[in-house]
Amino acid sequence: MIEIKNIKKIYKRGAEKLYALKGIDCSIEKGEFIAITGPSGSGKSTFLHIIGCLDSPTEGEVIIDGINIKNSKKKDLINIRRQKIGFVFQNFYLIPGLNIYENIALPVLFSRKKNYRKKILSLIEDLGLSHRINHKPHQLSGGEMQRVAIARALANEPEILLADEPTGSLDTENSERIFEIFRTLNNKGLTIIVATHNLDLAKKAPKVFKFKDGLLVK
Amino acid sequence: MTFLKLYINSLLRNKIRTLLTLIGISASIAILFSIFSFNRGFERNIKKETEKTGLHFMIVPSGCPHEVASLILHGAVSPKFLDMDITEKLRSFREIELISPIIVTQAPNIKYDRIDILYGIEFSILKILKPYWDIEGNIPTNDYEIIIGSDIAEHYKIKIGDTLNYKGVQFRVSGIVKRTFSQEDAYVYISLKSLQKLLNKEGKASAIGIRIKNIGDLNKITEDISNKIPGIQIVTMSQVVNSLSVMATSAKILSLSIAIIAIIISAVGVMNSILTSVFERTSEIGIMRAIGASKFDIFRIIIMENILLSILGGVIGILFSVISSTVIEKFLKKFLFYLPSGKLITFEFHIALVCLIFSLFIGVVSGLYPAYRASKINPIEVIKT
Ligand SMILES: Nc1ncnc2c1ncn2[C@@H]1O[C@H](COP(=O)(O)OP(=O)(O)OP(=O)(O)O)[C@@H](O)[C@H]1O
Ligand SMILES: [Mg+2]
Repeated sequence: MIEIKNIKKIYKRGAEKLYALKGIDCSIEKGEFIAITGPSGSGKSTFLHIIGCLDSPTEGEVIIDGINIKNSKKKDLINIRRQKIGFVFQNFYLIPGLNIYENIALPVLFSRKKNYRKKILSLIEDLGLSHRINHKPHQLSGGEMQRVAIARALANEPEILLADEPTGSLDTENSERIFEIFRTLNNKGLTIIVATHNLDLAKKAPKVFKFKDGLLVK
Repeated sequence: MTFLKLYINSLLRNKIRTLLTLIGISASIAILFSIFSFNRGFERNIKKETEKTGLHFMIVPSGCPHEVASLILHGAVSPKFLDMDITEKLRSFREIELISPIIVTQAPNIKYDRIDILYGIEFSILKILKPYWDIEGNIPTNDYEIIIGSDIAEHYKIKIGDTLNYKGVQFRVSGIVKRTFSQEDAYVYISLKSLQKLLNKEGKASAIGIRIKNIGDLNKITEDISNKIPGIQIVTMSQVVNSLSVMATSAKILSLSIAIIAIIISAVGVMNSILTSVFERTSEIGIMRAIGASKFDIFRIIIMENILLSILGGVIGILFSVISSTVIEKFLKKFLFYLPSGKLITFEFHIALVCLIFSLFIGVVSGLYPAYRASKINPIEVIKT
């Protein structure tokens, strides 16, 4: 479902070239659960951003469901992002002022879908947030905020969930709970790719990609 | 979840800043609305007031500038005088219904150390010309009585029966005209004969007001009069209305410039406020991009916040100026040489609409740059940190 062919990401700093990704080849099948590990600066986030169509590779090709990202227009990329991809980040990034329900519904608003209330409510229930539905983000614990962020990532019913250090700001217990949620989602068929420094958690994933200096070293 | 909720949420995030910005827009739109309404009211009320004089044209000495001629009706002092013999000649025109010679002059009031405006007119005619007056006391019946405007009465704390002294002659106040909210409030109405004596201008008048029986004869009769009586000039009431509003043009231009400056300042204020909030919300905006908002979505959100704020400010400004119109009118009156009577600032739908369009314009124009900046926020930059 995701085909990655020799992608490179090069940043130019004056005359100096900085390789964030030095040529990565891989393919990810529907329903896979992959953990990406590697030292800081090895290119994990860059890789996720490229798969998530937030960023584009300097060289190489990314093909999602048969669509070559390189040849797609910006408008199509946004639609791919809206329909197929959900993002979760280390710092949650919930919108202050909006309550939990509104935060979760935001992606649906942007994708201009209608009649989503029931779906959102069942997501909220699945993630054990029902009692928090009218709360504002600042009233929640870190673990709860991350679950809201996951619910938000799932609101558009994506095919792929990309998580960048989702447990980076959480304690062990909450981190394990998040991974538990990932496993449940994966069992329902969702493709999940998680970049993490937490090797114990990474081991729980059926498949691990190790990054080093912008290369996939298995 | 709706986009509207999103806009409102952003505006409510920093309530004080939103409030301050709102005050800025409201103030500038209030100024604009007041000025537009005031100008409209000015024209409308000049017409009304001029009609209320019950006169159709005035005869003034030739060479008397148009503006002065127009203002004589409203209390301007003219240095030139007409011979009263003319009134005799005028009586031969059968189309004329009423002939009202007047003198307007200023005279020192030594006791109160002020200069008063004396308006000399025949009291029998005054009664016909000012049927709308609400008088405490009576219109005088002899040459040693006067009737005064409410401003004079209040200022000097004068009651009926008190006297005022001009050039050594005592005049008894027989009546006080209740407030008309016009120049009339500051006049002392005196009999024409007495004023002629005071000025040593027996048999003279500053102007002669004429009412004709049939308005259809206006052109014919004014032509006739100018042909038969030399040394005079005729000013019709429509010319009076015109030259009064022409005289107000520079005040209009000045006041509109002030409004435009206020609007520019408030637009810059809105822009500054929204720009600050865009910078503060960089990460939020970036994250919206990451979860599916397009650049245009972001642009729209920010510009709509601006528009919402500006329109709300516009509505508040209009309401404010309608509510406080009396105070605003009093304030503006201080700067104008002549004002017609009656309420000038009233709510008129199309003026309100124009003002709302102005506030929409403020919103769009001041929102363009912040919205552009927001749409340029790169989600990757934001989520890295
Ligand atoms: N905008 C940029 N300009 C220049 N260099 C960049 C830019 N963005 C990323 N890099 C570089 O690319 C490399 C890969 O960064 P990336 O964020 O993908 O690493 P990472 O594996 O996610 O690290 P971490 O575990 O700390 O999150 C780093 O060396 C980083 O300095
Ligand atoms: Mg990273």
